[in-house]
Amino acid sequence: MSMDIKALVKEQAEAWSGVVPPNAVSEELAAGFASLMAGLSALRGQLAFEDEPSSFEAALQATKEPNP
Amino acid sequence: MNIAIKPPGTLTSLSLTEAADAVAKGETTAVALTEAALAAIAAGDERVNSFIWLEGEQALETAARLDKVPKAERGKLHGVPLAHKDMYYKAGKLSTCGSKIRAEFRPGYTATVIERLEAEGSFALGGLNMAEFAQNATGHNQHYGHCHNPWGLDYCPGGSSSGSGAAVAARFVHAALGSDTGGSIRLPASLCGVTGIKGTQTRVSRHGVMPLSFSADNVGPLARSARDCARIMAVIAGHDPKDATSSKEPVPDYEAALDGDLKGIKIGVPKNYFLDDVDPDVMAGFEAMLGVLEGRGATLVPVTIPHMDAVATYGGVVSRVEGATIHAEWMRRQAQDYAIHLNSRLYASLGIPAVAYVEALSRRGPILKAIAAAVFSEVDVFVAPTIRCKAPTLLSTDVDAGTPGALDAFNTLSLNTRPINYMGLPSVSAPCGLDSNGMPIGFQVQARPFGEGKALKVVDAFQRDTGFHRERPSGFAA
Repeated sequence: MSMDIKALVKEQAEAWSGVVPPNAVSEELAAGFASLMAGLSALRGQLAFEDEPSSFEAALQATKEPNP
Repeated sequence: MNIAIKPPGTLTSLSLTEAADAVAKGETTAVALTEAALAAIAAGDERVNSFIWLEGEQALETAARLDKVPKAERGKLHGVPLAHKDMYYKAGKLSTCGSKIRAEFRPGYTATVIERLEAEGSFALGGLNMAEFAQNATGHNQHYGHCHNPWGLDYCPGGSSSGSGAAVAARFVHAALGSDTGGSIRLPASLCGVTGIKGTQTRVSRHGVMPLSFSADNVGPLARSARDCARIMAVIAGHDPKDATSSKEPVPDYEAALDGDLKGIKIGVPKNYFLDDVDPDVMAGFEAMLGVLEGRGATLVPVTIPHMDAVATYGGVVSRVEGATIHAEWMRRQAQDYAIHLNSRLYASLGIPAVAYVEALSRRGPILKAIAAAVFSEVDVFVAPTIRCKAPTLLSTDVDAGTPGALDAFNTLSLNTRPINYMGLPSVSAPCGLDSNGMPIGFQVQARPFGEGKALKVVDAFQRDTGFHRERPSGFAA
């Protein structure tokens, strides 16, 4: 993937939220999103939206301890 | 009547349930417990820095009033002094949230969990140190000073409920509320050698509690034992009309189920993810713990937890985006008022797109169902080390000081806890040994949703045969 992730995050944070990088560490963290993007990319095709609308609360009920 | 009055020196060593029971039997008083706690804090907190603020005189007045309450009107926690992470609102009282931004914040209403604890007769001595806005796993705080681990002052106490773990470990208080979005109860419980529980997502009301992540925040106690946690959970759990997200599931009598009997209980030992790259000292403590559970009658069953790549990836996305959303206004106006490790994290999280967030949220239910089908059809609970590494030092994890490698060390701490928040499962962390540096090691027990009682039962059984939860750091109150 040949993209400038720092620039991507900077553009998104500023354009959508009006927030600029507060320091150098913040840009370092933004650059670290390469691994998060890779993680999300690796999940593509593995899971389907099988519950629509998806409800986490319903899943808690469906899987709950029968004898609490 | 021949009642053995407990001398002050032994009072701080009592667990929460022992202290409450001693008050109920007339063996001690709320005033005596409070005086002992304040003396321990005066003698030791200069080293630990677990309190952000302390109201000793007011606590003594409250204790004196409680001692006059007729026995028939007393609750389950009557007369026991506590203190909580400084993010539980009480009308008119300071609630700094560990931040400069809220240094003078005094909410106009009281958290439901605080009302419930007070209705049972407990009261708070003050506000405990915490990570700024509950957003680090180490215990660093640039505004109120870092909290130190009583077992080794150079070491991390764990976060974000750093003061809660440290104050319970140092025997300043019998128990304390923490909060857990990615491990913030279980990490300080593990590093400080105490017991802590994060309930099922939705199990405890969050009304009047500083929000971090709507989907993953949990309220729970850190205390001396599983029995202590059981008693507090029975008080604070249950539906709250003021928190529409809180569950209407009935609250069982957790304490009554603690019988020490693990015969017929199947305990899952993960074959994947949770035991990856675990430090040998931690592994030795974990394996010894398994042996104790087997000795109590449990059967160990190797299990594979499905979708762990997805859980690990999505879990971070949800809490980061929700936290960044909550803090966006302050980030626009006063980003410099946050510590570097926090404003940098909040800023970067604004770069995660909405589709990634919605994807992470929408797959949470199906993933939980898949995990339940694969794991909880085979076992009652599954266990794991709470933290994979030995206790790190404050210096080695100080991102703000620019310590090389600090970011990685910082993130390593929550590898085994954050996934549980995404799954929404109840989880109890308890001590199971000391590492080669003399610092506590912890393990965590996960059960099905609303299976808090089962997880507590397993930990209680372990604590019946071991003394790790009774060990305390040297140099602090007996």
